[in-house]
Amino acid sequence: MLILKILEQHEAFHVEEFGVDWNVIFLLIGMMTIINVLKRTGFFEYVAIKSAKLGRGDPLKILMILFVVTAVLSALLDNVTTVLLIVPVTFLICEALEVSPTPFLIMQIMASNIGGTATLIGDPPNIMIASKAKLNFMDFIYNLTPVVIFIIFIMLIIMKLLFNKRLVTSEDNKKRIMRMNERDAIKDPLLLKKSLFVLAVVLTGFVFHGMLKLEPATIALFGAGLLLLISRTHNPHEYFAEIEWPTIFFFIGLFIIVGGVVKVGLVKWMSVKILHLTEGNLFATSMVLMWFSAIASAIVDNIPYVATMNPLVIDMAEQIWPHVTGKELLQHPDLMPVWWSLALGACLGGNGSPIGASANVIVVGMSERAGNRISFFRFLLYGIPITLLSITVSMLYVWLRYYVIKF
Amino acid sequence: MKAKDIMEPIKDTLRPQTTIKEAIKQMKLARRGEQRVGVKGMVVLDSDGNLIGMLSIKDILRAIIPEYMTMAELGEFTWEGMLEKMAKRVENMKVEEVMTKKVITVNENAPLMEVADIIIKHNLQRVPVLGKDGKPVGIIYVRDLYWALVKALLGEEV
Repeated sequence: MLILKILEQHEAFHVEEFGVDWNVIFLLIGMMTIINVLKRTGFFEYVAIKSAKLGRGDPLKILMILFVVTAVLSALLDNVTTVLLIVPVTFLICEALEVSPTPFLIMQIMASNIGGTATLIGDPPNIMIASKAKLNFMDFIYNLTPVVIFIIFIMLIIMKLLFNKRLVTSEDNKKRIMRMNERDAIKDPLLLKKSLFVLAVVLTGFVFHGMLKLEPATIALFGAGLLLLISRTHNPHEYFAEIEWPTIFFFIGLFIIVGGVVKVGLVKWMSVKILHLTEGNLFATSMVLMWFSAIASAIVDNIPYVATMNPLVIDMAEQIWPHVTGKELLQHPDLMPVWWSLALGACLGGNGSPIGASANVIVVGMSERAGNRISFFRFLLYGIPITLLSITVSMLYVWLRYYVIKF
Repeated sequence: MKAKDIMEPIKDTLRPQTTIKEAIKQMKLARRGEQRVGVKGMVVLDSDGNLIGMLSIKDILRAIIPEYMTMAELGEFTWEGMLEKMAKRVENMKVEEVMTKKVITVNENAPLMEVADIIIKHNLQRVPVLGKDGKPVGIIYVRDLYWALVKALLGEEV
């Protein structure tokens, strides 16, 4: 794109409309750095073992508790890191209980994608939407968290019905779990306290970033810097080296490609077609967008998908309200349900197939390495119904909240 | 002195298709010199006598430790009887699935300094010695180098 001058380098790096979204890049870098410190403290292992003991060694209870724990952690931290650290402990717990790890792993994937939908920082699509539409952390909490909590609640009921009879273990096996001491997981208690303190500061910062007029990226970078400072580490490059640079450069490259596509007018052409199809009806547009996003995200990665859809939504808005500009256009009351539909569809659609989201690919890969293959079909058996269910719930939610109650 | 002067000639070998359970039995009965003392590592040869791998107790332990334990620090959360149970799981695996395939070797005419260098650089317990035709003829253990030192520094014959 740059070499062919479809997009000038200046546009790619310095123009908001076409170029790299540095908010997204630096928010990711900041959060990744914080997690890199946190994961060395043994925090995730502690939480997983603690959950198993809270469930008193009962497989069904553990399944449900780990589901909620994974969802909450994914809402606040990166999905991939969460599953990467919870999954090995899950294997150990299942080994101790002599139950199949497959339901646990699939439910954790579902939890990571559902939980990630809840907040601005939970899932990359949300980060990208927030940055483009200039939405803040609390906007996501008000609009997406309620429906996510509701979906989690439904999932818990389904798990109870589905696995009640199938997950059984002996009293001796339960004792194995109860004998584990979760405190052994904590490798560095002081560093853990510091990490959790910084995480609390960062989350508080996110809550107020709209009021403070600070970008989330600023807060995340501040947190990362603060943590590196107070952790008194002598070699911060260790934490930097573990930042997922391929992901970061993937984003940069993706933004440039999408910028070029926008500039040549392909996105404009698409938005005209869509508006033509839905005859400018935004309710129809949100519903179509939600289902289309869900299906698309199940088949392709939701990150490039959302990167393309963002300018498309903005372009549609420009056509509907040609005289409104800036934040008033981006957050036009009638446009908001469209953004939420895009977020819900893209994030929840990730559950539709083993390749729907990065967390899915990673967990399925880890499981195979651990000698427990989860077949494509087996995944779909859980993934498709759960996706259909969560999207249906989301659809009813968007319809009721924004078009019936108009709250 | 050269590698061939201190090596122990190979008497017992493993085949790639042997099961781990059988391999453990053979290791237990293997000879070192004239005595059946058991060894902690054996060479694996194909039907033509070519070296295709080494199987050591560490390789077997690596196969027994579940993969997920290498993904995180979980040692504190294991239970009594776990190792024994996991060992049962690998007993019917084949030697070739577990063995180290990239074997570091020395030539029979290599000077002892080369042998010592290789053992230290690669953190080995033993290194197979290859003859002129490229087939293994012996094994040098760390202990064999120790006896070479005894001879060099204390002037004692072994």
